[in-house]
Amino acid sequence: MAKLKILITISFAIFSLYYISQMNILPVIAQEEITLTAIFAEPKERWDMLLENATKILNDRHPDKTIKIDYRVLPYSDTRTQILTAMAGKTPIDIVSLDQIWLGEFAEAGFLSDLTSNTQKWNKSSDWYEQNWEGGLYNNQVKGIWAWTDVRALWYWKDLLNKADISPKELENWSGYISASKKLKQFLQKDGIEGMHLVGAAHSPDMWYPYLWMLGGEILEKREGHPTKQNYWYPTYNSNLGVKALQFLKDQVDAGIKPQINHYWGQEFADKKFAVMLEGSWLLGQFDKSEWNTLKEKIGMIPMFPVPNTSNTTTSTLMGGWLLSIPETSHNKELAWELITIMLEPNVLIPMLLQQGYLPTQKSIGEGQYATKLKSTIPYYEELVSLISLGKGRPNIPEYPIVAEHIRNAIEHVYNGMDPKQALDEASKQSSKALGW
Amino acid sequence: MLILKSFEPYLFLLPSILILFVFLFIPLVWNIYISLHDVSILTIIKEWNFVGFKNFYNIFSDSNFYNSIKVTLIFVFGSVLLQFGIGLLIALLLNQQVRASGLFRTLFIIPWTVSTVITGFSFKFLFDDSFGIINYGIEKLGLESIGWFSDANLAIWIVIVANTWYGAPFTILFLTAGLLSINPTIYEAAIIDGATKFRRFFHITLPLLKSFILTNLILVTVWTINFFDLQLIMTNGGPLSSTTTMSLYMYKQAFEFGYFSEGASVGILLIIMNIAVAFVYLKLFDVRNKNT
Repeated sequence: MAKLKILITISFAIFSLYYISQMNILPVIAQEEITLTAIFAEPKERWDMLLENATKILNDRHPDKTIKIDYRVLPYSDTRTQILTAMAGKTPIDIVSLDQIWLGEFAEAGFLSDLTSNTQKWNKSSDWYEQNWEGGLYNNQVKGIWAWTDVRALWYWKDLLNKADISPKELENWSGYISASKKLKQFLQKDGIEGMHLVGAAHSPDMWYPYLWMLGGEILEKREGHPTKQNYWYPTYNSNLGVKALQFLKDQVDAGIKPQINHYWGQEFADKKFAVMLEGSWLLGQFDKSEWNTLKEKIGMIPMFPVPNTSNTTTSTLMGGWLLSIPETSHNKELAWELITIMLEPNVLIPMLLQQGYLPTQKSIGEGQYATKLKSTIPYYEELVSLISLGKGRPNIPEYPIVAEHIRNAIEHVYNGMDPKQALDEASKQSSKALGW
Repeated sequence: MLILKSFEPYLFLLPSILILFVFLFIPLVWNIYISLHDVSILTIIKEWNFVGFKNFYNIFSDSNFYNSIKVTLIFVFGSVLLQFGIGLLIALLLNQQVRASGLFRTLFIIPWTVSTVITGFSFKFLFDDSFGIINYGIEKLGLESIGWFSDANLAIWIVIVANTWYGAPFTILFLTAGLLSINPTIYEAAIIDGATKFRRFFHITLPLLKSFILTNLILVTVWTINFFDLQLIMTNGGPLSSTTTMSLYMYKQAFEFGYFSEGASVGILLIIMNIAVAFVYLKLFDVRNKNT
């Protein structure tokens, strides 16, 4: 009998709990709770800054909802793999940050939502620098919005160049650059300081492309006659122009510049281990913000990659940066899009750009009314922005990672003594195969 | 009741079998399935076409794959030899009646408790061509610095050194357990019979450690074949693919270039290689058992 009582009591309790849970007791004050999920690439501080403000604005715009952002910030190398795994497993992710070179493969794989109609309604595409807007397109569809950019430029320590009696002007052309490297080596070696920095790390192709572009060459070109796609990309980086560009890297090695296998993204320059370094604008972030006011007194910047001849060659540079995209698996595409647009609003974006030293992709921020603050805060801001018009992005096609690997191998071979033409021809054969030719 | 009794041992084994089935058998079959289909970053959420052995053909027509086999052999041979040699030597020394041997044993185990990521970065910084402390010391001696990571012949040996530092403690721990299991009276009897240290080592220690040594060798070899964390962190396979082992080649195919099928095919080849290694060691073990 006692057991029966217990059974009835438990059954009643369970039934009551179920009934209560089904009742909408507080319909007036209940808010819809939505959590947007995101995967971003490090550093975390930039996302913390952006999202703190953006989430607040988004919630203010939707008083009937409580919107939270659950975002994971991963190291660069893990970000692509994690996004890939999430997409393959159809995990619902609402926003991802993409390196520009990943856009092609992710878009082709069907991972990314088409944002074309959203951007048409938004009507802000004309405010983007052309190269930056096009970097977010794939097959004429908008697949991502390039949020901020960076450009590579030539940085130098003024006192070290003075010590070796080198004028910064000498660094602007190839022959001057080589002779300056020899002088710097002679003066600085005893202090344990290297003269010129030469990238030997995995991203070495990125530092070779500007030489190829300034000569008029291209990494890939569209050609007719592809076996399956008729008109498709073909490797042209092994042209005479490519060989000439790679010969300049070989000349640097022959002059005694050691390719650096490990890369610390400008920290090695900030630590004064090198007198001269070609590095991205993020290098400024390696200096303490309190130093920015006086930084121009210590370090110089030439907004260019050295050219063969200053009188008849226009320099070029590589543009990087991050795009914001919405995966196909997102369950909250409209809200995710709204959040992206808020993150890109000048009042939200500019504080982060100032903090991190990134360059804007929006003309109104780069040159317009907001530029004053950036100019007065980021050293060499105007010079860096002037490089955007000369900058180019890497091909955002699905096969780019393997093509870049072939070019990297060619550069490594040249560093180890191979003839540039032979190295590029061998790499090009592999790239042709990878591209389906 | 009798039937239940006869099934009892299998019931006890069932949880383990289930775990093995879920975490070993299913992934293995899935891997084989992927290796026979066209799965890449571009097709992963689309239809996967059956392509037979095309992925294996692609792998075998890639010269980089043959290079990775060569690198794997050097990496495994070098790592196992050094890990085992140093591990055995230190285990023997720790087995002597020395003061604070317990403390030393604990100290020697530390590298094994450190994550491979930290090990990789530590050695990367130690041997950095321009700023590493090793080259700093060399330059202080008035010598020319060495391009540890830029020399294709040297880089693999630096990775082997790092792997030895990381892996040798396991051998020390394993063989120390083996040495402690040997009855000391056997040594006492041998000493009374006038056996020298060398004779005691070769005729008592080694034969009685045999099963420990072989198990250790199998484990260390298989782990080393599959290991790619250190190479990835320290050199990313370079320079000139001189540190791209098969496991790193597999990782790059799948996750850098998005060729999942090719990656899975290399995975199958690695499994075959591991089974072959275990088989060879077990055969050796069998032969020795017959001889003793």
